[in-house]
Amino acid sequence: MDRGETAGATVQLRRRVRASAEQVFDLWTKPDLMVRWMSPYPGAVDCKASSDLRPGGAFSLVMTSAESSREVSGTYVHIDRPRKLVFTWVGPLTNNVNTLVTVELTPRGDETDLVLTHERLPTSAIVEGHTRGWGHILDHLADTVSKDL
Amino acid sequence: MTKIEARKEAVARTARLDAVFAALADPTRRAIIERLSRSEARVTEIAEPFQMSLNAVSKHIRVLEASGVVARHKEGRDHILSINTRSLDEVDGWIERTRGYWEERLDAMERLLHELKTENKSGRKDRKHGSR
Repeated sequence: MDRGETAGATVQLRRRVRASAEQVFDLWTKPDLMVRWMSPYPGAVDCKASSDLRPGGAFSLVMTSAESSREVSGTYVHIDRPRKLVFTWVGPLTNNVNTLVTVELTPRGDETDLVLTHERLPTSAIVEGHTRGWGHILDHLADTVSKDL
Repeated sequence: MTKIEARKEAVARTARLDAVFAALADPTRRAIIERLSRSEARVTEIAEPFQMSLNAVSKHIRVLEASGVVARHKEGRDHILSINTRSLDEVDGWIERTRGYWEERLDAMERLLHELKTENKSGRKDRKHGSR
């Protein structure tokens, strides 16, 4: 794996899916579609989603079972349907610290290449501006993060 | 009680991970880690290949020590640095969990795409699934 570049703070996955980029993009952003695949808790779990699709807008995914309730939430940072979606992500998986997810979609005929990048953001790295590859996204992020606080 | 302890442990782990990731976010510090992953070394040996003052390198080393990635012990007058592989294993754990999580979610996403296709074929009137 390319450890040197990413310094271990980034996870990246690639998929080619049989659908248009628009359709895939909507799966990520439309609540009625989000609830049908985003929850990692199968079976008798009630899943509710909300999405305010604009930069700085919030989304959430609340998964409730008889025993417990879990929530994943975040803020949209960059929206460019159907090519790119960037959002912050906080949930059980991230130990409830802010992380950044980027979904990039590239049409390939009837199919679409999806690249998902999940970056963990150490707060100090944001402050020091050391983390690379985020470009202007960092500026947006600094805004949304400071709004959250 | 145990729930609170588990929560404390999770918070502590998060803080540790944040410190490790912050430590890894700098190219000089990554180079130091790479050097130490080959063998332990004196502070002066670590500083040698870098075009910066010993003071500047020492600062990076202090960040690495604070994060728990690098440990220091004394042998006579020498300060010897070594890598704490456990702290890096924790990072690996996060990466594996995250990768596993998204692999499963993307599988589910593809299954849903397949379902939506079949639903569309079998008539869209009796279904409501946010088609535009």
